[in-house]
Amino acid sequence: MKTFNDSHLEVKKFFSGPFETHPYEVGWADEAIFFVMVEKVEGDPVMKAHVQLSQDGVHWADDDTPEAVITGLGQHIIKVNPNFGNYIRIRVDISGGQMFLNIHIACKG
Amino acid sequence: MSVDELLLRSRFTPLKNILSYDVFNTGLNGWMTLMPNFTEYPDFDVPKTLVCKDQWPPVMLSSATYRYPGTHGAMSGTYSLKLSTRPIAAPYTEIPAPGCLGHAIKRLSFYRPGCRYLQMECWFSYTAEQDAMDPDDRPQPGLHENSIRDFGMGFDVQEGGKRYHVGMRYLNAVDGKMVQRWQYESATPGTDKDWAFGLEGDWCKRGVDPWWFGKRYPDGSHDGFQWLEDGHQKLCYNETDCKLNWQYMRLKIDTQKREYVECQCQDRIWDMRGIPCDTVDAYGRIDNLINPLFWVGTDTNRRVFLYVDSVVVSQE
Repeated sequence: MKTFNDSHLEVKKFFSGPFETHPYEVGWADEAIFFVMVEKVEGDPVMKAHVQLSQDGVHWADDDTPEAVITGLGQHIIKVNPNFGNYIRIRVDISGGQMFLNIHIACKG
Repeated sequence: MSVDELLLRSRFTPLKNILSYDVFNTGLNGWMTLMPNFTEYPDFDVPKTLVCKDQWPPVMLSSATYRYPGTHGAMSGTYSLKLSTRPIAAPYTEIPAPGCLGHAIKRLSFYRPGCRYLQMECWFSYTAEQDAMDPDDRPQPGLHENSIRDFGMGFDVQEGGKRYHVGMRYLNAVDGKMVQRWQYESATPGTDKDWAFGLEGDWCKRGVDPWWFGKRYPDGSHDGFQWLEDGHQKLCYNETDCKLNWQYMRLKIDTQKREYVECQCQDRIWDMRGIPCDTVDAYGRIDNLINPLFWVGTDTNRRVFLYVDSVVVSQE
């Protein structure tokens, strides 16, 4: 049977501007999905998110997952391209307002 | 006898009834980050409290991979349970900064009568993130051992109408100065308000959640922890942040007397008989609760990590 795990990265908090999620180790997994739940908005915010990979959890580079553009309330999905190694995160930039977010990472492998 | 059973009996000294034997190379085994209670109107909001649990980073299965040596792996296979902090800390005597702790918990319960003793034992390691050089005003500015404030393990227990937290805390450093002394969870007398840094109406009771609550003092003293007698011990941090040595610790309590029995780290055992568990009246809906837990705290604006290879919880 495969292992599955979902972990929170951010919970019930307003965000605007740039930030990155906590370095997360997924070496055991074959697939990874970031779930971005927008619970509230203030203004007319637009989120742009890029998946990043790291060899050591300290130095980061964008992978080739397409940029995600997220607007509106509700659940949004960022499916990470396969062959992601061990450490992953998303770098995010929110412009035009604030988003009240829950960000999770779900992995299986 | 299987290899697993051989390793269990040689690496651990469990009591008669084993509740859980978790080797994290096989998965998370129900260990997760402690989260707030999502119970409030209008949208599963969190009760007003000083404890900002939503900033504690998630626990994860770690291969312990570093910049230069690559993957360190675990004592048992590749993966261990990793607790981590965010790169943020407040001075020791101030209210802990949100995110300066990492926390892991598993949720169990008393399952049969006559189990007097409760024990938790694990193999662990700890390190600081090898992120940036510190100022060149001391030897080895790339060695960040003193960035780790504390780590520990213990139980949240409720039985017979009483709730109590018991645990052993390794106070590694205070505001950059190495301390390396063990403490145990027990609150000094005082009010609930004082426990919550003066916040009126916080739900928490004195003695509960000492990782966050309780006044701290410049010498490392803490209203929620007491010094263990002869508790100075230099652990094996190794010579650089990317070398891990797996070490053993154990805590045993008496849930009949509600007292500590003993604790152990590496080859040292401390007799703790006669030290009472610090009890408060029972909380609702958690009768017979046994929650083993781990935590790690950072002393500076740098992530620190506690790795747990395997853990056994047992009773008799």
